[in-house]
Amino acid sequence: MGQHENRVGTKELVAIIFIMMGVKVGDDTPPILYDVLKNAAWMGPIIIALLTAVILFVLFKVASAYKQKGLIDIVFHLFGKYLGWIILFVLWLGISAATIIDSSIYSDIIVTMYFPKTPTIIIYLLLMAACTYGAKKGFGQIGSVSWAVFPYITASLIIALVISLRNGTTAFFFPFFGPGEMEVIKESIIKTSILSDYLFLFVFIPFMKDLKSFKKASWIGLILITLILIGGIMSFLLIFDYRSVQMLDYPFHEVIRYIQLGFLTNVETLFFPFWLISSLVRFTVYLYISAVIMGRLFKINNFEYAIPALATVFVFIGYIPESPDYLIFHLRENLLNILTPIFIFLPFILWAVAKLKGDLRREKTN
Amino acid sequence: MRRKYMRSKAKREQSTPDIGSSIKETTIEKNLNKTVQIFQSLYSFPKNKDVTIRHFHIPALQKDAALLHISTITSAETIDTDILKPLMTINEAAQQIDDLITVPSTSKENKVKTICKKINEGSAAIFIDGEEEAILINVAKFEGRSVEQPQNENVVKGPKEAFNELAQTNISLVRKKIKSESLVAESFTISKRSKNELYVLYISDLVDDKLLANVKKRVQSLNTDSIQNLGILEQYIEERRYSIFPSTLYTERPDRAASFLEDGYIVLVMDNDPACLVLPATFWSFFHSSEDHYLRFMYGNFIRLLRLIALFISVFISAIYVAITNFHSEMIPGDLLLAIIATRDKVPFPGLVEVLLMELSFELIREAGLRVPTPIGPTIGIVGALILGQAAVQANIVSPIVVIAVALSGLSSFAIGDLSMNFAIRLMKFLFIFAAGLVGIFGITALFTVGFFYLVSIKSFGVPYFSPLAPSYQSSGDTIFRRTLQNELFRPGYVKPKDITKR
Repeated sequence: MGQHENRVGTKELVAIIFIMMGVKVGDDTPPILYDVLKNAAWMGPIIIALLTAVILFVLFKVASAYKQKGLIDIVFHLFGKYLGWIILFVLWLGISAATIIDSSIYSDIIVTMYFPKTPTIIIYLLLMAACTYGAKKGFGQIGSVSWAVFPYITASLIIALVISLRNGTTAFFFPFFGPGEMEVIKESIIKTSILSDYLFLFVFIPFMKDLKSFKKASWIGLILITLILIGGIMSFLLIFDYRSVQMLDYPFHEVIRYIQLGFLTNVETLFFPFWLISSLVRFTVYLYISAVIMGRLFKINNFEYAIPALATVFVFIGYIPESPDYLIFHLRENLLNILTPIFIFLPFILWAVAKLKGDLRREKTN
Repeated sequence: MRRKYMRSKAKREQSTPDIGSSIKETTIEKNLNKTVQIFQSLYSFPKNKDVTIRHFHIPALQKDAALLHISTITSAETIDTDILKPLMTINEAAQQIDDLITVPSTSKENKVKTICKKINEGSAAIFIDGEEEAILINVAKFEGRSVEQPQNENVVKGPKEAFNELAQTNISLVRKKIKSESLVAESFTISKRSKNELYVLYISDLVDDKLLANVKKRVQSLNTDSIQNLGILEQYIEERRYSIFPSTLYTERPDRAASFLEDGYIVLVMDNDPACLVLPATFWSFFHSSEDHYLRFMYGNFIRLLRLIALFISVFISAIYVAITNFHSEMIPGDLLLAIIATRDKVPFPGLVEVLLMELSFELIREAGLRVPTPIGPTIGIVGALILGQAAVQANIVSPIVVIAVALSGLSSFAIGDLSMNFAIRLMKFLFIFAAGLVGIFGITALFTVGFFYLVSIKSFGVPYFSPLAPSYQSSGDTIFRRTLQNELFRPGYVKPKDITKR
């Protein structure tokens, strides 16, 4: 599986996790939360993170029983050849759908916000071509690039959010619980799959230095993601109030156009490249995960060679929806709703089956 | 196809006429005249003017002898006073020749091939009648420059001596800095006909044995007639011949070579090249300069920061100009936009063509300025840079802002001292300009990300190019900025030194 000597450590994985999920603050994730949670949207990430922490805890329990085995091997081991194949196939469909829909949304962001005259397909093709090149280099390289750009991406995000918070109106916080406490909790749980990428990260355990660094990185990453999501959602809210922010498709890009830095009136030039780098790295990871799972499902040993073909298929599927503004967002919301039960229940099922098989106890006596 | 090529290569090797190859394999004979005749025919004596054969009688041994050397690469004085004089004048009986001559070291050889090799390297050979071995005395004296100041890697503070074209001098300059018995200068003959000598320098109790074996294997497996200098050698031993990024560091500063040696790197030195090659090289070794560490912490990091800014300016500024004028006019402040539009108003070309035109002229001025004879160099520089730029603007061929951008990027590129990395940056600049012309900032960023993936994936002699930053290794963290010397505790972990701690 690619670069064996070049395994990924804690630092690199934290960077990958942050880029995969923390950067979602820059796409249409906040509007999805605003839609249902109104001005309490910033509480969403807290509840989602708490639930994710429980899920992670269960997953780690299972993972530590099978040292250095990734999610794919664990699923095959626990469910056997056929049922395991079906479960992985569903997961593969999930990640592929997420890649297609998200990349379609991102190319739409780029075109609507920055290249109104360029055909979407060109941007989309170039985006996926760059990701294909990165994915073909392997997970070690993805980790290296993520770690190298991580400080700059984080810094640019934080600066953007801090400046925008300065322009905010704190009165927009209230009413504090938005649509009501129960509603907030319920709707947040439904949207837990915003962090479902964590499930797919477990595919990468064999690529890691050890399980300990994987665990450590997951926890640090979870904290960072939660903070940045809360910060982002709060600052958009304080600037626009929930009614107008509900109307916006891409609040992050509206915000970086809105804010000013002294005499610099157009600071989006400073933030756009960083956001773009993070998006490119993000889809590289998605594409790679999709390729790894596909490689195991269809017994393609050198799955790296299948990445260009996979990316081409993704582009053509992603280009089908004619009016992304309307269709794609509904697709994404539906996908999130479908992924949530998988994300929540699969770890518990894994744990239960492992327990029944007695694998967990064996670990303890060892 | 490949097999056909191999076969024809094998045939060529067979048919290569090697004069006297059969004689070379023999050993010398007891008969002095026969021996001398062998060497006369090998060296085309007396056609070959600087080959000298001196017949004489040794009274101490009561024997006839002949001395053969190449006069242009040997020291006539040593031969005269330390060899010929004692041999011909001392009359007391002696057992062997070593008791008579007064040079530091001699050796005995009987194979014609080895004797030839030694003579070609500047030894004098003494053949004695009745002896089956020749006595070889090293009296080499090659002509060359003296130690001078570095031409390309200048510093304000720090040593100002550079390597020259003599390997002996270069090794001596390194030994002056590392006075240790573990500093090894191993030599290899790396070409078949010209018999070029390569010295591999390393510190035996620091260097990684695997790395050393890898380097040795690569320099020994070269199957070529001649490798004149390190520039040629570099192309033979590097891994990616078509890459725009260099994978060996070429430096003319002995202090830099010494500091790399002390970190566990390997240094290659050759005659005929006023520099050395440092292996393996990372991106950072091209980015750094020796002065970074000679200056105090703040000053050193200040010039590192300047260099980083220069790097970004030289790679990106022209591309950003193209991107902004073609795609993102709304991204820049209104006043600046007006200023740009006002100057571009009369220019008949699109932004991309304008920038390419100016970049190309700058590269031309630069290349031509390098080749013009020294006395008229400055004049040409002034004509090229000042008058051409001024006239181009007045003729509305380019806008003044483009001149600013291109001049800035050209100037900034000089902040990266290393020649290879300099070329890499200039080539990258053009790639980014085209990417910007295609899809603006998106093109620049996508190319940057792809380039970054490429950079972290390539390796120089097994060492990742961007280490220790990514992937991370234990090291002193000497990447963009450096730490204080007291905090630079480790040797770079990616070269796997035997002793990782420095302090």
